[in-house]
Amino acid sequence: MNNFSELHLDALTEVFSIGAGRAALSLSEIVGDEVRISVPSVQIINSEDINSTTLSLNCGRFGAVSQHFSGPLNAEAVLLFTEEQALKIVSDMMGSQMSTDELAEFEHEAMCELGNIILNACLSAMADILNFTLESSLPNYTVASADEILHRLKKNTDQSYILILHIDLAIEKRHTAGNLVFLLSSASLTNLIIHIDQFLGSIHE
Amino acid sequence: MPVDSSIKKLLIVDDSKVSRMLIRTHILAQHPKWVISEAVCGEDAIALVDKDPPDYCTMDINMPGISGTHAAEQILSKYPSIKMVIFSANIQETHQNRARALGTILVAKPVTEKSIALTLDYFANSK
Amino acid sequence: MSKISATAPESPTAPSFSTLPAASMQQEAKRFDMDDIFNSLNLGVCVVDADGKVLLWNNWIAKHSGIKEADALNRQFEKVFSESVSPAFLTALKNTLAYRLPVVLSTALHRTPLPLYNAFEVNQQQPRMYQSISITPIQSQLNEPCCLIQITDSSTSIKREKILRSHSEILKKEATTDSLTDICNRRFFDAHYEMAVADAKRQKHPLSIFMIDIDFFKSYNDYYGHIAGDNVIKQVAAALKSQLSRATDIVARYGGEEFVLVMPHLPQEIAEQFAERLRNAVFNLVIPHINSAPFHQITISIGLCTGIPKNSDNMLNKADAALYQAKQKGRNQCISLPLCEAEEYLQQ
Repeated sequence: MNNFSELHLDALTEVFSIGAGRAALSLSEIVGDEVRISVPSVQIINSEDINSTTLSLNCGRFGAVSQHFSGPLNAEAVLLFTEEQALKIVSDMMGSQMSTDELAEFEHEAMCELGNIILNACLSAMADILNFTLESSLPNYTVASADEILHRLKKNTDQSYILILHIDLAIEKRHTAGNLVFLLSSASLTNLIIHIDQFLGSIHE
Repeated sequence: MPVDSSIKKLLIVDDSKVSRMLIRTHILAQHPKWVISEAVCGEDAIALVDKDPPDYCTMDINMPGISGTHAAEQILSKYPSIKMVIFSANIQETHQNRARALGTILVAKPVTEKSIALTLDYFANSK
Repeated sequence: MSKISATAPESPTAPSFSTLPAASMQQEAKRFDMDDIFNSLNLGVCVVDADGKVLLWNNWIAKHSGIKEADALNRQFEKVFSESVSPAFLTALKNTLAYRLPVVLSTALHRTPLPLYNAFEVNQQQPRMYQSISITPIQSQLNEPCCLIQITDSSTSIKREKILRSHSEILKKEATTDSLTDICNRRFFDAHYEMAVADAKRQKHPLSIFMIDIDFFKSYNDYYGHIAGDNVIKQVAAALKSQLSRATDIVARYGGEEFVLVMPHLPQEIAEQFAERLRNAVFNLVIPHINSAPFHQITISIGLCTGIPKNSDNMLNKADAALYQAKQKGRNQCISLPLCEAEEYLQQ
């Protein structure tokens, strides 16, 4: 983590912004409306330092879409929204005036798809820009409390770093904020830095 | 592509340093003599253009402060002769239409040789 | 979890993959035919190669598309169907092939990406099947990038959800509605009353309880019969209900010919005027009642209790006491007892 410079972070932010842009494009094709997704900030922290503030998890229940990645990076990626936000997103995506009860039955699948779109877009941007490809599991959606989520993120001790992307999602006129969290082993972080260095090196050529 | 003999001024507007470096490197590879300046946000870009209007401009959309689209609108209303390309990974139709309405084009990020070629072609050939 | 099930090339998958000797040897070692498994699965399974050509087409998808395996194999996936495949599906397929990342298409957002039908008939007038689809990258044994497409029928799960929900809604309605009058029943009232009182206490706003009884109802029943009596109860309930317009107000059948209304946020004076409106609404029904002097028609008596309830107050008892007063004073009228003064009347 010591050799992770401002420039590395800037490169990653750019990679994920491009990923977010692609995700917005695919989502807008599905919902037939304007969608904007931006990544205002990226940070890397030690997994011991993770707490509810770093993830802006206050209270209540959260919807978490997770996918496992393997390849040059072994990572678990988790996209987090509050359950209330998740339902609003699903409602906006479906563009209907359903009751909350009715939406709840679609929440699971629709959130899986939303997470899948955002995660895959970020990974495809990484693949294109940083020049590596990852394999991935299918997405999984769970609803859990902030404590349960933190516990799950912390318990995996061999993944000692956490890459956090703050995500702003706007469908039609509604803004939603969420977090995308990558749990990385130190070997994976080192690999990530190597790939970013290679990419930065190519700019100076 | 016809080689541009005259020296042109280009302004790169992007909050990402890496992105600015990429654009600069690719463009200088084609036009080593161009004079390139950079702005990290829309507000800075507007101020810079007022001081010294460039011939060409590349504009990012998602930036802190005012959006790239907004900055582009302000700059172009004042300096319609500047040729501008908007860079975004989000190339949905509404954004393309908006870019077109401003008299610019939208070029897909990431910045690659291909996207820079599109940009240079637009600078050289659009009316 | 970190194992990517869909990218396991070691398992012998499809006939199209078993052209290598190694594969057929592996297959011999199995005591069952993989084809049988694919064809017995209760989900659609299809494999396409990097050019989008179909390499595997199981029975399920053949049955629901009406397209035989022989007519699908080695053809472009989207050209196998006579109808269109959704653009979102094709984009997903393209992305999976390009980036080797799995994609899900939810029912919620796509409904019917593929022209599949529950019961396939020659005329395709019926609606398409609701589908949940996942597309995962796999490799052939020749190391070619391919995609596995899995399709499940989500219409059954949606239907089941809907039936369960409508059942529970019916049950909920039955549990809270009086079957004769279709207004709230006693059970609903008891729960609602408790909440309304608690709210009023907490927020210190007034609550009004109206206890209502049909005058000389027993003699009406005796004279006109029970069916006519039930009819009167229904008409009175409807008349009372018609006076309510706010979502916070309820009218319930308290028992027999007794009704109760709960209304928050009414000042004493307005509550009294409202009671008068209720009395008039029933009076104006002009239902003949020969044994009810002096008007010889159906009337009601109302006991009203209004105020901000405090801990020990029992508004229901006080409204009941007021109703008793109204009966004593000659019926077809309303007696209003503010919370604080009600005690005296109870003493009498």
